Amino acid sequence: MKIIGQSNRRTRRILGATVVGLLSVVAVACGGDDSSSTNSAPAETGAPTSDAPTTDAPAEETPVAGGTLRVGLEADVDGLNPTASALAVAGLTMASAVFDPLFTFDVDGNAVPYLAESIEPSADFMVWTLKLRAGVVFHDGTPLTTDAVIKQFEITRADPLVGLAVRPYYPETGAVVKIDDLTMEFHPLEASQFFPTALTAQLGYIASPTWLDALAADPTLEQQPVGTGPFQFDSRTEDSVTKFVRNDNWWGTDIIGPTYLDAIEFYPVTDPDTRTEMIQNDELDILHTTDTNQFQTYRDDPTLTTSIDDNGDEYFLMINTAKAPFDDVRVRKALALATDRQGYYDLFNTGEGRMADQMFTPDSPYYNADVKQEGNDPEGAAALVAEYCGENPVDDAGVAQCTDGKVNMEYQWSGPSVLATRIADFYNENWKASFNVTFDEKSQADNIQEAALGIYNVVGWRQFGAENPGDDRVWLECRNIGGISLNWPRYCDDARDALIKEIANPASPEERVGLIQKLVQNLHDSYAYVFMTHSSWAIVSTDKVHGNCDRKSPEGNSLVCSINGRMFFQSTWLSS
Amino acid sequence: MRYYVQRVALAILLLLAVSMLTFGALNILGDPLFNILGPVAGDVNNPDSIKMIALAKKEFNLDRSLPVRYFIWLSDFVRGDFGVTFSSTGQPPVSGVISERLPRTISLVFLAQMFAILVSIPWAIIAAARAGKISDRISTINAFFLVAMPNFAIAVILKFVFSLKLGWTPITYMADDPLRSRLFQLLLPALTIGLPVAAVYQRLLRTDLITTLQQDFILLARTKGLSKTRILFVHALRPSLFSFITVVGLNTGALIGGSIVAETVFRIPGIGSTLVESIFRNDFPVVLAIVMIVASAFVVINLLVDFAYTLIDPRVRR
Amino acid sequence: MSTTPVTPAPDDTIVAKKLGVGFWLCVTWVGLMAFIAIFAPVLPIKSPTANFINSAQGRPPYAPSWSHWFGTDKDARDVFSRSMYGARISLTVGFTAITAGFLIGGTLGVISGYYKGWIDRISSFGFIVLLSFPSLVLAILLTSLIDRNLLTVSLVLGLLSIAPVGRLARAATLQYADREFVLAARQIGATNRRIIIKEILPNVAIPMSSLALLGMAVAVVAEGGLAFLGFSVQKGITWGGLIQLGSDASKTLQNAPWIAFFPILMLFLTVLSLNFAGDRLRTFFDVKETTL
Repeated sequence: MKIIGQSNRRTRRILGATVVGLLSVVAVACGGDDSSSTNSAPAETGAPTSDAPTTDAPAEETPVAGGTLRVGLEADVDGLNPTASALAVAGLTMASAVFDPLFTFDVDGNAVPYLAESIEPSADFMVWTLKLRAGVVFHDGTPLTTDAVIKQFEITRADPLVGLAVRPYYPETGAVVKIDDLTMEFHPLEASQFFPTALTAQLGYIASPTWLDALAADPTLEQQPVGTGPFQFDSRTEDSVTKFVRNDNWWGTDIIGPTYLDAIEFYPVTDPDTRTEMIQNDELDILHTTDTNQFQTYRDDPTLTTSIDDNGDEYFLMINTAKAPFDDVRVRKALALATDRQGYYDLFNTGEGRMADQMFTPDSPYYNADVKQEGNDPEGAAALVAEYCGENPVDDAGVAQCTDGKVNMEYQWSGPSVLATRIADFYNENWKASFNVTFDEKSQADNIQEAALGIYNVVGWRQFGAENPGDDRVWLECRNIGGISLNWPRYCDDARDALIKEIANPASPEERVGLIQKLVQNLHDSYAYVFMTHSSWAIVSTDKVHGNCDRKSPEGNSLVCSINGRMFFQSTWLSS
Repeated sequence: MRYYVQRVALAILLLLAVSMLTFGALNILGDPLFNILGPVAGDVNNPDSIKMIALAKKEFNLDRSLPVRYFIWLSDFVRGDFGVTFSSTGQPPVSGVISERLPRTISLVFLAQMFAILVSIPWAIIAAARAGKISDRISTINAFFLVAMPNFAIAVILKFVFSLKLGWTPITYMADDPLRSRLFQLLLPALTIGLPVAAVYQRLLRTDLITTLQQDFILLARTKGLSKTRILFVHALRPSLFSFITVVGLNTGALIGGSIVAETVFRIPGIGSTLVESIFRNDFPVVLAIVMIVASAFVVINLLVDFAYTLIDPRVRR
Repeated sequence: MSTTPVTPAPDDTIVAKKLGVGFWLCVTWVGLMAFIAIFAPVLPIKSPTANFINSAQGRPPYAPSWSHWFGTDKDARDVFSRSMYGARISLTVGFTAITAGFLIGGTLGVISGYYKGWIDRISSFGFIVLLSFPSLVLAILLTSLIDRNLLTVSLVLGLLSIAPVGRLARAATLQYADREFVLAARQIGATNRRIIIKEILPNVAIPMSSLALLGMAVAVVAEGGLAFLGFSVQKGITWGGLIQLGSDASKTLQNAPWIAFFPILMLFLTVLSLNFAGDRLRTFFDVKETTL
């Protein structure tokens, strides 16, 4: 009897959802960018999501068809199944080539229809009527219909991990109701004026129902996605290269414009130095990276075009507020005070990017100038720790939380990573005056597992950056705390929940700004996060690459060039 | 005949022991359920998760006792079914991972061994020919130094000098490159592993040669008027090669161990670096498979060396 | 060829050669390293974990200078101080490992060489099994599964030295177990235990002593390899770990080679000294390589 002969569909899906990037999955699942609503609700003012790239061909150059684009990604994916795979930035980049989202973001930060034709809210924003485009066909010939969308929704909702982002926001039955083959109604549990932003990423990438059915029988097909996108799957060698070729039957060719590239090859190259070497040796045409050490190299190279954006997610220390000793706010505050944030920035960001006080950069209208992240105050930390330890605190099991007047804690991170170890050593140097720090280096999967289950004290994390802050609610609400908790710090505050609800359904756009700024203050006061830096993404391409910022929506809106490191290639072309 | 059968039986027993110990260690000291299921494995309050845990236990036989699980694994393994990786999709199958990466390691180890042999033989001959003189003492000291330098240190130094400063060899290994470039990319890693081993071979062979050269039949050859070179290569080398071959075979283990380091430093996706990665990720099926392959290679090579030895020198057969 | 034939000395006479200057130099170095390892915290060297960021000098790593003899690493930590502190774990593990190996392996080897029979068969088989595992693989496996603290790493490496030590002890014991003086002792009525302790051990100790130094060298290198791959003591400064830090990124190695090279130097000199001293001891006692 074979051990692993039978592929059990449910086990596969469990396995499918485990890995890294779950956080990004859900982050993007609940929308990505700057506030917005639909084409029928008033548009928000919002900052663009990425710098205008210092790029590209002047308008006179005419695009030529042909060529294979070689893309360097920071990681590989285990599968490209929007209903179950953990898609991080790399996965979302690949997914964007073979799938189309129902909605997408334009350069002003509005969610505009893409695969969907239109959407209409009810007066109270509790019912959203979505109309699909007619005549759209998946790569395998199956037509795009309401049934496909509903099927995908229900499968996603049932997934034990990806579904966690969906289940709390919809009723058990009647979440999506079919009106006809191209029309459906969404019935979320709460009113949200910005509902369509949730359909701009993983949740909105519609896959072929035929393929989803086939997956149930043979999960290996997860690596051969079937969508509606401008490119379709050609071949894949795990950890080596994934190849997509142009879809000549793409629905958007007539409505939006032609797709120029013959094919795209995605190369996962985990080492940032190697990625840089490869693009300089003409082994790659375009890449993305968050390794700030590379940025100067890119800038110094005249043959490369670089665009850097730090308006996405933030890097911070995340604290588990449900477990002693950090269930006490004084200890959390002490940790923040003990951290040398400036030193971290000097050593590890090497001058690139910006330090973060909160989840918005000063470029954002939601930035709350009164909220500053504390740090660099070891005496303050010592005072708080002295007060806490003076009470001889013990946890539920009676274990003392202080030894020799210092708080016992564990810091964990995902490895193996020389850089992460250096960072850990640096933090230890900061904290050792007031804390007894134990190190715990884990594999990436283990690290996320323990975060999800709440078995950690302090961990370095990346999150937020949905500039429609409403979509970051899944990391913040009480309802997202459970056995597995997407509210990773497990911090429950009814006032915060009430704020979040209002933010989704504000009386006016101006009021919303104020509400979001209040949320920022609330996050600060919880001391569940020690904000460190805004993550900087660099998109680097050779001078043969053009047009990646020329995407348009079916209605003619200019679309964003990149979101948080995610790249799009529908309008890209190569010169020789 | 009986000798051969005994040795083969011993080898098989050995491999079984290795597999039992590794399997036991992984399953007792590790936590397979956690590695397969992820967060769900610990989410024991949720009825859905409980169902998934039960399903996974059934599929991976985790509800059965350790010896039973071992036998299931063993019966699959000997039939070539290495199982699937503990990855999120169970893809690719372990045999896929191995078949893709093993050839690279084999080429690397082979190159290293070739280098070590080709370098050590002339080096030893020259040293033996000039035994006691300055050049011999210098080469002894060199050999000593090489043995004292750990292989990861050699790797770093070689990388620094030849790849970074001189730029003679490429820094990265590209799996898609043509064979010639790939072999060139394996040059430094092969040197890393091969150099210390060459030093070991050289010292041994030199000692052996010197001893052989003192034997009577050499004196006889000299009086007959045969040239030094002829004596060296034809008469002295052959008997000394016996222990040389033994050592070459026995050192395969060291070479394989060295490949782990070399593959890590030079970023070659072979089974050495895969082993390190999968140990870190607690990917037990891959770890088990690689350990068994390496141990088997080791045992089989030793067996072959033993057999070759008995063929050359029948006195040894007892 | 002008070698004069050398007749090897008979087995149990000790040829009174000099150990030589080289031997004593090496012993001094090892002693110096041990001294530094033990007394590092009280010696007047900088803190190994503090970040000596000096904005006047720009961004770290800083090249070697009067204030930082070996320079600093990318986090502005003093490489000299870290290299000294690196001796602590590396030497402790080396020493503990070979001691454990000797205690367990040596005992097993002597017993199986003396009593022979089924004890011998089982131990020998055990030794061969242990030797069939590529040692680095086993070390990585066990440290990652159990725990990455000082004791575990030392014991795991000790486990790996049991087989080679045991085999040598067994071979040496076999040489003496059937000798006349042992038979004579048994005739007088001495117990086995007494014979082992009074007659066998002193003779076996001689070839084993050189193995002690050589074995420690191997253990130090093994720990270095473990640390280099990231599997040695967590939160500890080790030579292998320092080398990894200095060589992980090509850019670091290219632009700041001192970060990796000074620890390499320390490790190399220490291992060389142990190897050389062990080898000199072996020649001194004129022990032949006993194979089995």
